[in-house]
Amino acid sequence: MNAHQGLGRVTEDELHAYVDGQLDGNRRLAVERWLAEDAEASRRAEDYRAQAMLLHEMFDTVLREPPSDTVQELSDRLKGRIAFNDNRPAWHARPLVRFAAAVMLVVAGAAGGWMGRGVDQQVAAPVAQQRQTLATFAQEATQAHRFYTSDERFQVELGADNQDELNGWLSKRMGRDVFGPDLGRIGYRLIGGRSLPTDLGAGAQYMYANDGNKRITLFVGAPQSGNQSNFSFTQNGDVATFYWVEGPLAYALAGRLSKEELLEIAKAVYQDVKAGPPRREAPPEQQQQQPQQQQQQPQQQQQDHPPGVQPISDTQKAKES
Amino acid sequence: MSKFGVDLEVHIASLRRYARALMRNSADAEDLVQEALTRAVARADSFQAGTNLRAWLFTILHNVHVNQVRSKAARPQEVDVDDVESKLVSPPRQEERVELREMMRAVDELPEEQRKVLLLVALEGLKYDEVADMLGVPIGTVMSRLSRAREAVRAKLANEGGVTLRRVK
Repeated sequence: MNAHQGLGRVTEDELHAYVDGQLDGNRRLAVERWLAEDAEASRRAEDYRAQAMLLHEMFDTVLREPPSDTVQELSDRLKGRIAFNDNRPAWHARPLVRFAAAVMLVVAGAAGGWMGRGVDQQVAAPVAQQRQTLATFAQEATQAHRFYTSDERFQVELGADNQDELNGWLSKRMGRDVFGPDLGRIGYRLIGGRSLPTDLGAGAQYMYANDGNKRITLFVGAPQSGNQSNFSFTQNGDVATFYWVEGPLAYALAGRLSKEELLEIAKAVYQDVKAGPPRREAPPEQQQQQPQQQQQQPQQQQQDHPPGVQPISDTQKAKES
Repeated sequence: MSKFGVDLEVHIASLRRYARALMRNSADAEDLVQEALTRAVARADSFQAGTNLRAWLFTILHNVHVNQVRSKAARPQEVDVDDVESKLVSPPRQEERVELREMMRAVDELPEEQRKVLLLVALEGLKYDEVADMLGVPIGTVMSRLSRAREAVRAKLANEGGVTLRRVK
């Protein structure tokens, strides 16, 4: 904060700025060097961080509480007034969207507040609009992964016991056919999914687990214009994410895995989604009218692994159509 | 296409969290946010596109709060039955852990000016200069309030039955 005389000298203000992630790279190194030598200062930094964590523990619950009707109405009006004529469809106003905004905030607040480093947008320079949008999409996928794998209560909205139902429901929410590929051959079992808003409109998150209970999530969104794109990679903290566009849909695969491990899974997902949904799946409307029509039902596909994880729905689902 | 809508949702969620931490009562907090948003809607024209929306909203909220405190001091305290009730019937369950309870108390005991700075920085992740602008004080004042708040909380937690905070490593 203040100007510096001696190169190695660290000020009180800089200790705080270090804890708050508001210090630039050069000075961060100086502070780290100091902390390595000064145990008392190091304890203080730790305590300050712990205080921030406790504050989040105490008050982040507010983010999950829906705002009062009046506050919601005012926020919608404010949006209309200063939204740069950004008249987007009403999906913003829906509870799930608000909930997701809260999710983003938990992550942003936590990262910005006390983790202290390198958490600024990973978004590269805006070369092309689509790239920007996709990077945002990947970030949302990463955040959603972090959030929904962190808390048992929120893991999936709908379980994978009936995959037709799951795929049909998510397809309906997205207005496009989506499906959760079968990753049994590489050891990952579909647990379930949830519908979430993204910058590209409604999105679907599929969650998988392996025998070691390692979780990965596949986030599917619908970009405005579906130009094909190669695999892109982003790393946010311990969560790695590959993302790409295939056909009319954008995909982001996230997991707490090494880049190499995740890439193998991404390739499997890519092959599956390129090949299209398994034949057992019928489009949602057909599904309702003639559920008996599908003759070939390769049952073993999903039945190899018993559903070892009990999917637990949260309360968001009931309110939505 | 802007992320405006989602950004705004995020900022408002942030306002609500800050208001709750400041007021410690959900009805009062929601009233504060409501009043702030009403004003924001009325003054929407004064917001310049591309400038810091979050700072703008927090500044409005801060001003509303200052005015509320002022007008409360000027008029005799009326106690609303509902308020009392909500205070009585909703003890925050997350305070069950000793650590959290002690933290809550330590924060409550801070002078308001320090408490605000601590919450804005440590909970909401505002930049120091944003906090300075919002409160209308020099940045040096923000830093000294932050430092005093953190040390006061630290001293209290250290004294209260040996609550250890060695949790971050």
